[in-house]
Amino acid sequence: MKMPTRTAASALALILGTAGFAAAEDVRVTVAEYSSLTGPYFEEAAAAFEEQNPDIDIQIEVVPWDVLLQKLTTDISGNANADLSIIGTRWLLDFVDSGIAAPLDEFMDDEFKGRFFEAFLSPSMMDGKTYGLPVAASARAMYYNKDLFEQAGIETPPKTWEELSAAAEKIAALGDETYGFGLQGKEIETDVYFYYGFWSNGGELIEEDGTSGLDTQAAYDAAAMYKSMIDSGLTQPGVTSYSREDVQNLFKQGRVGMMITAPFLATQIANEVPDLNYGVTAIPSGPDGARGTYGVTDSIIMFENSEHKEAAWKFLDTLFSQEWRSRFTGGEGFLPVQGAVADEPAFADNEVLKEFTNLLPDARFAPVIPGWEEIADITSSAIQTIYLGEGEIEPTLNDAAARINDILK
Amino acid sequence: MKRSALTNPYILILPGVLLAGFIVIWPLVQITEIAVSEVNRFGQLRGFAGLENFVAVVTDPAFLGACWRTFIWTVAIVVGSIAVSMPVALILNEDFHGRGIARIIMMLPWAVSLTMTAIIWRWALNGESGMLNSALKALGVIDTNIQWLAQSSTAFPMQIMIGILVTMPFTTTIFLGGLSSIPDDLNEAAQLEGASPWQVFREITLPLMRPFLNIAVVMNTIYVFNSFPIIWATTQGGPANSTDILVTHLYKVGFRFGKLGDAAALSLMMFAALLVLTLIYVRLAMREDKS
Repeated sequence: MKMPTRTAASALALILGTAGFAAAEDVRVTVAEYSSLTGPYFEEAAAAFEEQNPDIDIQIEVVPWDVLLQKLTTDISGNANADLSIIGTRWLLDFVDSGIAAPLDEFMDDEFKGRFFEAFLSPSMMDGKTYGLPVAASARAMYYNKDLFEQAGIETPPKTWEELSAAAEKIAALGDETYGFGLQGKEIETDVYFYYGFWSNGGELIEEDGTSGLDTQAAYDAAAMYKSMIDSGLTQPGVTSYSREDVQNLFKQGRVGMMITAPFLATQIANEVPDLNYGVTAIPSGPDGARGTYGVTDSIIMFENSEHKEAAWKFLDTLFSQEWRSRFTGGEGFLPVQGAVADEPAFADNEVLKEFTNLLPDARFAPVIPGWEEIADITSSAIQTIYLGEGEIEPTLNDAAARINDILK
Repeated sequence: MKRSALTNPYILILPGVLLAGFIVIWPLVQITEIAVSEVNRFGQLRGFAGLENFVAVVTDPAFLGACWRTFIWTVAIVVGSIAVSMPVALILNEDFHGRGIARIIMMLPWAVSLTMTAIIWRWALNGESGMLNSALKALGVIDTNIQWLAQSSTAFPMQIMIGILVTMPFTTTIFLGGLSSIPDDLNEAAQLEGASPWQVFREITLPLMRPFLNIAVVMNTIYVFNSFPIIWATTQGGPANSTDILVTHLYKVGFRFGKLGDAAALSLMMFAALLVLTLIYVRLAMREDKS
């Protein structure tokens, strides 16, 4: 069969013409799904932006957190990545080293930079260049159940780990179904839960000489302290089967007295169990008054191979305006990363958030080093071995430190 | 008779061979290329690495444990599912009221995604609010809650049990197909001769089911060896890697630690192991058939 040439040509012209008209400029954005509100929020922001900029078409791809890194890896290796993406700031080094993230300084003016808190912008700066903008920020503080505290006759929330142990003992004595201290021992951030005690004892993840701090007295003491709480029944039983969400569920059920976690638990409690009588306080300090909370930021990056950098930047400018930041931060239960947002009454007068922001001077971010995920995994495994009682504290930690030092070399 | 070139069998199977080549060989070539290269965490090749990646995989302290558990995992689930499916298939092959419904119920778990099943089991095995503990408590079997997923000594057997449960529908289907191909008159004749049901099963059913057993073993070995969702959804290979099998270890190496070169090397090794095992088994099975 022979197709009439003229028809084919005109059809082709029509297709090309329509395409040229409709798809002015596509900007693809990969976003992590923090909660069920994330997708709708970004869709709404994109719609509002497209109204202002009819020549730009924003495409939002929502990806669950657990598979985000896997998706990005696959996309990048197949050269099919989006123009913008949310990433964990702790991954940023790899993205910068491989030339995948584009520096944003050429787009940023002082007004734009001035919108952010320095503390949250600095983790995404490398070699004097800014490679990411903090899209979500979080720290950890201790939640405690006021009703359980009252039943156990505890007046004030514990300020030190010693007081925490004593309080946990009283709460655990209330009955078989309540536990003093909720201890996470499974999946993401198992290592972080250990660092709270470790930092309080004066430990550092990476020592000044560039080696792991797991083979120091601070680590031994922290591990011994957690292990003795497990052994004397102050924690929930079977800690190695409790992920962060599992412990949070126990807290929501009013069955653990204390746990350390992120601001989003307050948002979840407000939605799911508004009657729960709880308070938020600082992470307990160690014998010398040292303490540390874990600070986390996620950044939004622009890909070096993006062909729509200008348009993508325009969208970023909208996303990081006070209006959209305020909605995102409030909806997801994160900490404000911008001064103007933090000053809004909804955030400034929020007692729970205040506790978290007060802790920020003690906040430590995951070290920006290659192989951090593997180091975290080695640490988690060592900690689990100790929790289970399958290894002596010192040899287990020394062994883990040796393996981490191999990676750090 | 002279054959036209177009009916030459080799020409006729050519499209299939090409398709298979595209699906199997092309990724294999790609993976091999990555496995012998230095790769960054985004899969971009950075030079030739020789066997370095393979050495890194084998010297990983978690590797041997994962190999051993993969062996237990595969053998236990393949043998276990056959042991459970055979009686189920024999019963479902009998003529009784409601057999259709019973068969459908048997097949239903197959329709549910494996990940969903695994997540539901994760909830059921929860130490404090899990269904299993409350059921066992209500029955008076246990007094205190068992933390099923807290240590590998309870978690791994549970995972194997879940594995057997989800492998059963497929295995039963194969066996039912096999049973329906055995003519009824054979059984009847044997019964007339006074054979006991056990004798009928041993001397007639089992030998005739041989090819179907072989299919079940080979197919299930391949599926189970590479089965990821059950372990990942319940324990992610933890605590302390004590429930890791090769495929969950592979996922961590590749996507968590970003060592794509090591991951490619490991997956090649897994592919080779599976290929060799399957070939050996098929060989053995065929030799038995001939003799």
